[in-house]
Amino acid sequence: MMLEIHNLHARLADGREILKGIDLKVAEGEVHAIMGPNGSGKSTLAAVLAGREGYEVTEGGVRYQGHDLLSMPADERAREGVFLAFQYPVEIPGVNNTYFLRAAVNAQRRHRGEAELDAGQFLRIVRAKLKLLDIGDDLLQRAVNVGFSGGEKKRNEIFQMAMLEPKLAILDETDSGLDIDALRTVARGVNGLRAPDRAIVIITHYQRLLDHVEPDQVHVLQDGRIVQSGDKGLALELEERGYGTFDEAAGDAA
Amino acid sequence: MNRIVDFPVKPEARPYLDAFEGGVAHDAQIEPGSIARHRRRGLARFAETGFPSRKSESWRYLDLQPLARDPLLPAQAPSARVLRAMGEHLTGLLLPGKGPRLVIVDGYFAAEFSSLEMPAGIWFGTISAALAERPELIDALAAEIPGDGEHPFAALNAAFFAGGYFLGIAPGVALDDPIEIIHLGSGAAAGSFHTRSLIASGAGSRASVLEVYAGEGRYWRNDVVAVRLADGAELARTAIVEESNEAVHLGQIDATLGRDARFAGFALVLGGRTVRHEASVAMVGENARCRLDGAFVVSGQDEANILTTVDHRAPGGQTRELIKGVAVGRGHGAFQGRLIVREDAQKTDAHQLSRNLLIGARAAIDAKPQLEIYADDVKCSHGATIGDLDEAALFYLRARGIPAGEARHMLIDGFLREVVETVDDFATRVHLLRRLAGRLGSLEE
Repeated sequence: MMLEIHNLHARLADGREILKGIDLKVAEGEVHAIMGPNGSGKSTLAAVLAGREGYEVTEGGVRYQGHDLLSMPADERAREGVFLAFQYPVEIPGVNNTYFLRAAVNAQRRHRGEAELDAGQFLRIVRAKLKLLDIGDDLLQRAVNVGFSGGEKKRNEIFQMAMLEPKLAILDETDSGLDIDALRTVARGVNGLRAPDRAIVIITHYQRLLDHVEPDQVHVLQDGRIVQSGDKGLALELEERGYGTFDEAAGDAA
Repeated sequence: MNRIVDFPVKPEARPYLDAFEGGVAHDAQIEPGSIARHRRRGLARFAETGFPSRKSESWRYLDLQPLARDPLLPAQAPSARVLRAMGEHLTGLLLPGKGPRLVIVDGYFAAEFSSLEMPAGIWFGTISAALAERPELIDALAAEIPGDGEHPFAALNAAFFAGGYFLGIAPGVALDDPIEIIHLGSGAAAGSFHTRSLIASGAGSRASVLEVYAGEGRYWRNDVVAVRLADGAELARTAIVEESNEAVHLGQIDATLGRDARFAGFALVLGGRTVRHEASVAMVGENARCRLDGAFVVSGQDEANILTTVDHRAPGGQTRELIKGVAVGRGHGAFQGRLIVREDAQKTDAHQLSRNLLIGARAAIDAKPQLEIYADDVKCSHGATIGDLDEAALFYLRARGIPAGEARHMLIDGFLREVVETVDDFATRVHLLRRLAGRLGSLEE
């Protein structure tokens, strides 16, 4: 199993419990969508999986390819193939985007015992990926995310994902605030990554990315728990009826 | 009884007076009398003031006690064997290519590593050769350097200087490639190196200079550079201080700018146990422009101080300053920046910014901007920030698989890159970034 989340409880440093017992299994080759209203715990789930500090897991656990994910530091998780596309990509002044990405790719290659790529080899792969995603090369020579528009930042996330070829990609609201062109880029990136030995988790508020990326399963997250799971039809149902109808279900479970 | 001074001598100055008596570092037999008088004046001044105390405002952030306790007397000229061994130390410190280059080892000119051929209109060579050829420079040197209580080591330098260079650029002459001056400490014997140099740029001329300070072992470098820019002259002077981890480096540059002159001073302090870099600029002519930028990285128990003074004495001057500091481990850095705008210096436009990264609980940085404005129609500002590495940025890099240590170095490099990129000359800039990357690669937090 690619990802197994078992009864996951997590709270913030101030003691507020955000995740209240999440159970989720994602198999190799699958695309799952996790949907839910603001404040339901979607981004906290992504942060805990990626290893961001500031959250305390109080109960339950996460296994990634059979290993205890939560015991690995964030950078090791990434080198092991976990990728988080950030909802708010961070601006890093003074750090060149290409230089940063080569450091990331080479860190992963070292981890796997492969030879590092030199500047020329790296650039050839960069060109090929950009072409595949239909992204211009204007982002390459700028500082990481500095002065990027919202759409450019999300494109940059997808470009990084394509370069790092993760085993498990988690997209945290990558589709929010995007115009239709940027949304297509994101969809191309995700569909291009689909493979029998990979898995993708799309965290989103809206259904519209799912018009371009067909999920195998859809889960509804409400107040820190998954309250319903189903096929892609569930996403359409949510789009029609809104999240309000699940409030009852969440209330019953509490 | 001492023959040179007839007043009480500060005890920490005594060994230097004795060394002077012994004739270290200069040959009284062949030097013109005016230089000898200049030396004695400097020595008398130093004997009177001694080492600055930490009560002195511009010395308060530097610990000179070890040097006061354990004197480092002026070094002898290096032997041929020592010089031969220095060849390999030079690799990595030099710019690519064979541009004009002057190498100084232990404070003495090393001809075998130097290439002094210059196009017409430029005089470049050792200070002693220049003084022999142009005795009027002695007065210029003496007048240029303050020998007051705040600058006792400039006075000591006047007494003992042996090496140093003179760069004279004729009016209207422009030189594109940077001129390199490499100061090396051989580590052959503990001592002090007193170098004194003068750059005189003629009206409308343009040039750039890169000075590198590096070495091995225990030594004290006491370097003084005077810069005179005539009307409309342009000069960029970049210093890289990467001294040994036992070295004391006291560097001082004093520049005087004529009308419409432009000066860009840059200092990158990467190494040395105790480093003080002081740049003083006098904006004497109207509409002069000055940029003073730089950075320090301190780790271990290193101390580095960058001090700047820009004195606007004429109308229409413009100053831009950006100084960045990084302190890790138990490193201690300080920036003191003075901006003076005199009554006549209307329409002055001067901005100073000090930005600092303080990493770890035991590192320390002092930032002290100081504005003294006596004119009423000016635009002046200053600012200072001190912060830690951006945790969100650190997580972002780690979330892409970059190990925490490497991620920290990338962020420090990114922080300092902004200021290094203010250096105009491409080859110099690339060289600075390479030396910086090397330093950060071995940074112990």
